[in-house]
Amino acid sequence: METMNKLGRILLVEDDPKDVELTLTALEEYNLANEVIVARDGEEALEYLYARGKFKTRSSDNPAVVLLDLKLPKVDGLEVLKQIKSEEKLRMMPVVVLTSSKEEKDMVASYKLGVSAYVVKPVDFHEFVNAIKELGVFWAVINEPPPGSVRK
Amino acid sequence: MAQSCRSEVAMAQPKLQLQFAHSAVLRYGLGVVSFGVALGLALLAQRYGFHNVEVPLLLFAVAVTAWYGGPGPTALTVVLSIAFFDYFFTEPRYSFYVTRSDIPYLVVFISFALLVAWFSAVRRRGEGELRQARDNLQIEVAERTQQASLLNLTHDSIFVRNMDFAITYWNLGAQELYGWAAEDAIGKHSNELLQTVFPAPLEEVHAELLRTGRWAGELKRTTAQGTTVVVAARYALRRDEQAQPVAILETSNDITQRKRREEEIQRLNQELAKRSMELEAINKELEAFAYSISHDLRAPLRHMAGYTELLQKRASSVLDDKSNHYILMMLDSAKRMGNLIDDLLAFSRIGRAETQKTLVSLEQLVREALTEVRQDAEGRNITWKVGSLPDFYGDRSMLRLVLVNLISNAIKFTRTRPQPEIEIGCADGNTDDLVIFVRDNGVGFDMRYANKLFGVFQRLHQGSEFEGTGIGLATVQRIIHRHGGKVWAEGVVDGGATFYLSAPKPQGHLWKP
Repeated sequence: METMNKLGRILLVEDDPKDVELTLTALEEYNLANEVIVARDGEEALEYLYARGKFKTRSSDNPAVVLLDLKLPKVDGLEVLKQIKSEEKLRMMPVVVLTSSKEEKDMVASYKLGVSAYVVKPVDFHEFVNAIKELGVFWAVINEPPPGSVRK
Repeated sequence: MAQSCRSEVAMAQPKLQLQFAHSAVLRYGLGVVSFGVALGLALLAQRYGFHNVEVPLLLFAVAVTAWYGGPGPTALTVVLSIAFFDYFFTEPRYSFYVTRSDIPYLVVFISFALLVAWFSAVRRRGEGELRQARDNLQIEVAERTQQASLLNLTHDSIFVRNMDFAITYWNLGAQELYGWAAEDAIGKHSNELLQTVFPAPLEEVHAELLRTGRWAGELKRTTAQGTTVVVAARYALRRDEQAQPVAILETSNDITQRKRREEEIQRLNQELAKRSMELEAINKELEAFAYSISHDLRAPLRHMAGYTELLQKRASSVLDDKSNHYILMMLDSAKRMGNLIDDLLAFSRIGRAETQKTLVSLEQLVREALTEVRQDAEGRNITWKVGSLPDFYGDRSMLRLVLVNLISNAIKFTRTRPQPEIEIGCADGNTDDLVIFVRDNGVGFDMRYANKLFGVFQRLHQGSEFEGTGIGLATVQRIIHRHGGKVWAEGVVDGGATFYLSAPKPQGHLWKP
C-alpha cells in the first residue's frame, strides 16, 4: 500500500489486555498497525517516552501520536499527559485521550493540559472500530507530525 | 417626674417655719410674762417668809425666755429682772437706787443670767439644728420613697445591694421576675438568694465594676419557684463622698425566651452544618461511584460487544440461523446495557451539576424542544396546541431537557392513535407557583401506578410496546425538584395523560399570561 511506508509510529497506553487486543484488531483491519508500541501503565509510557529502562535503546524519534487511556495503574493518564506537555522534547507530540469515561471533569482536565483530541470508546464495536480507524488514519497518515517524529 | 418631686418639697417648707417663727410681740410678751410670773412668785414667797428664792425664780424666767424667745426678749427679761430685783429685794427697798453693797449681788446675778441665757441659746440652737436635720431627713425619705415607687413602675427588675451582697432595695419588677417580695428579699445575700451563675469569674466582674463603675452581662438565676431564668443585667456602682464603693444597682430584664430561641437556632444551625457535611460526603461518594461506573462498567461491556462482533464476523457463515440469532441478541443486550449506563450517568450528573438560573422564555424553549423531537414526530399527523407560556426562572439546558422528555413521551405514547393530539399550556396555579402541563390523548396509564411513573427505571409499559429505559420522567422530576417545584400526572388507561410541573414564580418579574 502507498500509505504503508508513510505510517507513523503509534504509542498505545492501555492497561486492559482486551482493550489492547480489540484496538490492535481494529488497527490491523485497516493495516495501520505495523508499528504500535504498547505501554501497559503510565510508568511504562513515560519510560518509553524518556527512553529509559527497557526502552533505553529505542530509536530517538517520537511516535506520531500517543493514544492514551486515563485510568491506568501506577501513573494515571492525566499525569502522563501533564509530564508530556511540560517536557520540551515531547510537548509538540500529538496526544489523543482514548477512554471509557464521559466524565466532564476528565475532559476539562485533559483539554486544559493541551490534549489534541478526546475520544470516548463507543460500546458498539462497529463504532469502536470506526473510531480507531479514523484516529489511526488521521494521526498516523494524514496529519503532518511535528519535527522529531520520523515517518517510516 | 422630677418637677413634681420638687413641688412636694416646697410645700413641706412653710409647715416647718411655723414652728420656729413666733412673732416678735409673742416672744417679747413671753419674756415679760415669764418675768412677771417669776416676780409675783418671789413676792408671794417673801410675804410668807420664804427668803432668797427670788434669784432662782428670776433666773428661771430668764432661762425660759432664752429658750423660747431668743436673745432680744432674754435681754429684756434680764434688764427687768435686775431693775425689779434692785427695787424689791435689795436695800434700800422700793427704790432703784443701787448701793455699793448691791454691786456684788448684781454682778453675780447678771453673770448667772447671762450664763443661763447663753446656755439656753446654745441648747436651743442645737435642738433647732437637730429638728432641721430631722425634717430634712423626712423630706429626703419622702423623696426617696417617691422615687422608689417610680422604680416600681418599670417592667425591668431593679435591686440594690451593698458591698457585702446584702439586698437593700428590691422593686416590683424584681418581685415579678424572681418571685420574692421585697420583704423576703431585702437583707438577703443577692447571689445566694438568686443562685446567680456569672459568665465570668465573680472577681473579674467586680474588678471591672470597680475600675469602670459599670458591668453588663448575661446571668443565669433561679427564681423562687425554682425555674431557671436568663437575664441581661447591667450593674452600676455607687460611691460615697469619699469615693468608697457603697452599693451596686442592678437593672435586668428577662431574656430567657430569646435565649432559648437563640439556642434553638444555634442547635438547628449546627444540625444543618452536620447534615450538609454528610450530604457533601454522600455526594462525593456518589460522584466516585458514577465515575467508577463510567469507567469500569463500560469497559467489560465494550469487550463483550467487541468479541461477540468479532465472533460474528468470523463464524456467521458457518453458524446456523439460531446461533446467529443468539449472537444478535447478545449484541442487542450489550447495546441496551450501554444505553442504560449512559442514561443513569446522565441522570446522576443532573443531580450533581450546578444549576445556572436565568429568566428563561418557556415559549422559546418549547419551540426548541419541538425542533429537537421533530424527527420522532415525522410522518405522524399530530395536532399541536401550544398555549401562551410564561417566563420561568431556571437552568435553561435543564428545563429544555424537561420539555424534550415530556414532549417526546407524548409523541411516543400517542403512536397508536389515529388522530394524536398534544397540548402544551399553562394552568391556573396559586399566586406563588407557575403550573405548566403537557397533555396527550395517548394510551394513558392506570392512576394506581401513578407513584411509579417518576421512579428511576420504572416503566408502566412493556419494552416491546414502547421502547425506553425508564429514566426520562425521573430526570424530569429531579430537575423540577432542583428548581423547588413539583411534578405530578393524571391519566386514564386509553384516555390520555397530563403531566404537570409547578415551580415558584420568578421573583420581581410580573408574569403576564
